[in-house]
Amino acid sequence: MRTGICIFMAAFIALGASWCGFVLAPMLQLGGAKQTVILQSADNWPQQRTGEATLGLQVYRAYGCAACHTEQVRQTGAAFEVTLTSLGTQKAADFKDFIKSLMVVPDLATSSNSIVGSLDKWNGELPKTLYSGDDGDVASALADHLKPVGVKTETRIIATGPDIARGWGSRQSVAADYLYDAPVQLGSLRAGPDLANIGVRAPDANWQWQHLYAPKSTTPNSTMPSFKFLFEVRAVGAAPSPDALKLAGAFAPAAGFEVVPKPEAKELAAYLLSLKANVPLYEAPFTPVTLAK
Amino acid sequence: MSAENPAAPTVTESAAPRSAAPMWIIVVTLLLLFLGGYYFDQHSGWFNAKVYAPYANAEKLNSFQPQSGETQRIARGKFVYDSVCGICHGADGLGKPGQAPPLAASEMVICKGVSRLAHIPLAGLNGPIKVCGKDWSLSMAAMGAALPDEDVAAVLTYIRTSWGNQAGPVTADDVKKVRADMGRNAPALTGVQLLNLPE
Amino acid sequence: MNPTENKSSCANEIDASLRVPLLALFGGAALWLVVGLVLGLIAGIKFHAPEFLSACPLLTYGRVAPAANDAILYGFCIPAALGVMLWIFARLSQMPLALPLVPVVAANLWHLGVLVGLGGILLGESTGHPWLEFPRAAAVLLFAAFMLIAVSAAATFGWRKERTLYPSHWFMFAALLWFPWIYSTANLFLNSNKVPRGVVQSIIGWWFANNLVFVWLALVGVGIAFYLLPKIAGRALANSGYAQFAFLTLILFGTWCGVPVGAPVPAWLPALSSAAAALTIVPLLAILIITIKTVCGACVSCKGGPFCFVKFGMMSFILSGILYISAACPQYSRVLEFTWFGVAQTQLQLLGFAAMILFGAIYELLPQVMGKPLPFPKFAKAHFFITMIGVLLFVVPLLIAGVEQGMKLHSGAAFADANAVALKFLRVSTTGQLLVLLGALLFAANLLVMAIQWKLGVIKCVIAYIKSPLEASETPATTEVKS
Repeated sequence: MRTGICIFMAAFIALGASWCGFVLAPMLQLGGAKQTVILQSADNWPQQRTGEATLGLQVYRAYGCAACHTEQVRQTGAAFEVTLTSLGTQKAADFKDFIKSLMVVPDLATSSNSIVGSLDKWNGELPKTLYSGDDGDVASALADHLKPVGVKTETRIIATGPDIARGWGSRQSVAADYLYDAPVQLGSLRAGPDLANIGVRAPDANWQWQHLYAPKSTTPNSTMPSFKFLFEVRAVGAAPSPDALKLAGAFAPAAGFEVVPKPEAKELAAYLLSLKANVPLYEAPFTPVTLAK
Repeated sequence: MSAENPAAPTVTESAAPRSAAPMWIIVVTLLLLFLGGYYFDQHSGWFNAKVYAPYANAEKLNSFQPQSGETQRIARGKFVYDSVCGICHGADGLGKPGQAPPLAASEMVICKGVSRLAHIPLAGLNGPIKVCGKDWSLSMAAMGAALPDEDVAAVLTYIRTSWGNQAGPVTADDVKKVRADMGRNAPALTGVQLLNLPE
Repeated sequence: MNPTENKSSCANEIDASLRVPLLALFGGAALWLVVGLVLGLIAGIKFHAPEFLSACPLLTYGRVAPAANDAILYGFCIPAALGVMLWIFARLSQMPLALPLVPVVAANLWHLGVLVGLGGILLGESTGHPWLEFPRAAAVLLFAAFMLIAVSAAATFGWRKERTLYPSHWFMFAALLWFPWIYSTANLFLNSNKVPRGVVQSIIGWWFANNLVFVWLALVGVGIAFYLLPKIAGRALANSGYAQFAFLTLILFGTWCGVPVGAPVPAWLPALSSAAAALTIVPLLAILIITIKTVCGACVSCKGGPFCFVKFGMMSFILSGILYISAACPQYSRVLEFTWFGVAQTQLQLLGFAAMILFGAIYELLPQVMGKPLPFPKFAKAHFFITMIGVLLFVVPLLIAGVEQGMKLHSGAAFADANAVALKFLRVSTTGQLLVLLGALLFAANLLVMAIQWKLGVIKCVIAYIKSPLEASETPATTEVKS
């Protein structure tokens, strides 16, 4: 560290190393990413957005929605869940005893406490989760042992974590979900709820418009500012517009007037409706409810 | 005013550092390096592009994959087909005139046994052959030689069940057997050699 | 001539060469600081009254909040830091600033770039990447301006009369290399016509943000502190062996932080970042030891003087670093991510650390460079206490809000409950923002009055020169303008 050259070299090597690690390597690994296959299906993921939704992404960017909303679901773990869906001809009490007798089987011995414990206060209502844990062998052994007795069970892989429990998604977000986003706006603050699956949670465009026009009309305790400038209040012409917002009470416009979305509002809503990350992928597996039935 | 004396900097700055960093902080650094390395080993999935937290590694992730059903095999097959075979044989399985014969309704594809079919991607095919009533002069490289058995099986299953084809599935064991029979680096087959093989 | 006289005339020459560039850099910076804090206040008020200015598309929260952050970082911190660096380089080199006109041009280019950038954000032309919101035109201006200043600084460094290197040199020299590299990389990848696919954008964005907001500000702030603390205390930098170690470990480990723990990217990226964050404790520790040993026992009585600013800045740096590292720890991150905690850490880094050290440095150097005392010395002292209380009131409630909000969200509570918990803390933190703004106004008043006084002085000299060219040919102001 006696000369300028030494400092320069030290800084160059240090920053160059992290450049290779966090710029070059991700470019090589993920920069050429293509669509992936949805688990247990022949469809690809993700699908290209419609033109309107692609324009909506730019509206989302321009108004800085990502300052308050994230677009990423977190997952803290994964589990196998064996659920009892039908007792067949069995009685609940007999079934409990049968389960207790099963616990001596070596496959199940390690998890016997949790399985038996979960049945302690059970009085026969269905469906009932028998096992929930990260040991796939226990789950499949339990299902195998229960098959011959005539009860029906269902084994599912589920993602766990507070976000999933809150209903914000069925699995964590992964790189593939953002393949067609430019810019990718993950967000870093949840002053508003996560939007990674808003297209699944609120699939109605008119609801989205109402929420943008007057957030409190759809969510009474919302702290979101209204985006009234994306809408036009106009006199109802010969026929009411099919896009007119279904507003009620204090939020409704004066009689003879209607609130219609401007193109920007339509694009933004189209983008929000396109936000869905609800299919199982190799890197984020889970059993979708529809497939399991 | 002495603090604001413009000549003051020289007093303190001339004391350029000569002493080295003390031992204890270097030991702390090394200890943290070790712990950091251990953490990385346990949580990084070693640069695997498909491993995301909370899955610690590829093995853990694989244990959470749904049991591989037929649908999933076919999905995998379509994926492999589109990226390897579809360029010549077409996404619709109709082939390319003068270059690649059709797979849809091709007698080579929908035949009962799978051994002959499996030879084609594993060894390659050269020279004249008759497919779907037309004469073809082929030079197909051993496109499947570098693929894992599961992928070859998946892609063959896919072509045998798509575009109206209704033949049975191909398993990874079938492919493994063919590969073993063929030996390593087998030369490309000719049409006659292929037809002489058992189905 | 005796040596002391020789030296002080040399110092005068150094100060004279810096007068115009520093005024150009600091004057604009003070204005942007006020602009940034006003924008920040608007953003803060929107949480108490969501409909405040909501009819104005230019001032949505999503535009005002990033504009406020960028105005403080790009508008104030970076140009002010560059000015202080030029001064320290010239002082340590024992020679006047090389190419003094270049930084003057660059300062104007820089402030023009910030103007274009902020206008772009408010008009909806933001790139959408945190800390890189400025549109392309602004980015080009900023990059060009930085390179010009770097050339002048590097020339002053290269032609130095005093050849020994001082610890501050390492930090600042590295900072000169850092910014062009990260800024050009980030803009070429994220702000061009062909952006990389998918989350690679976010990864490069995190790399850039970490290297700018954490590493670059640390390099500059610590570099300035290591110069000012011993200078004001009148003693050598304590444990200078640690300094080299701190520098090397900071640039070696600090650069790898920044990828959030649960981010939707392959696990190796966040794992690497978390491990690096843990190792970043080492430079923090070394810097803490150096600071404590240099400051403690120094007989400096300064109630609100530059020494206090720098001391508070270093305390904030250590605290902000600890918060940053703890947020990268997987156990805490699950609770703290997506909450106000991250915002609080960033504001502590920007206002509590970088801005405080820069205020102190400017109050210290400005009277020397201008050759006369501050117009309102009492404002400077009031500025310290107001800003200190303001920063604490701003940041501490946000930290608590973040933890409470995170605990609620992590325990699976409904989103609205978690949000409501945070809101009451935001009330307090807005008061803090108001105080910081008040302090910034005092700072700007001092700076702008000084600049105006100086300009009036120059005009007077010019008039006097025109009236009687023969007598006035030796006034210091005119020689300075020529240089």
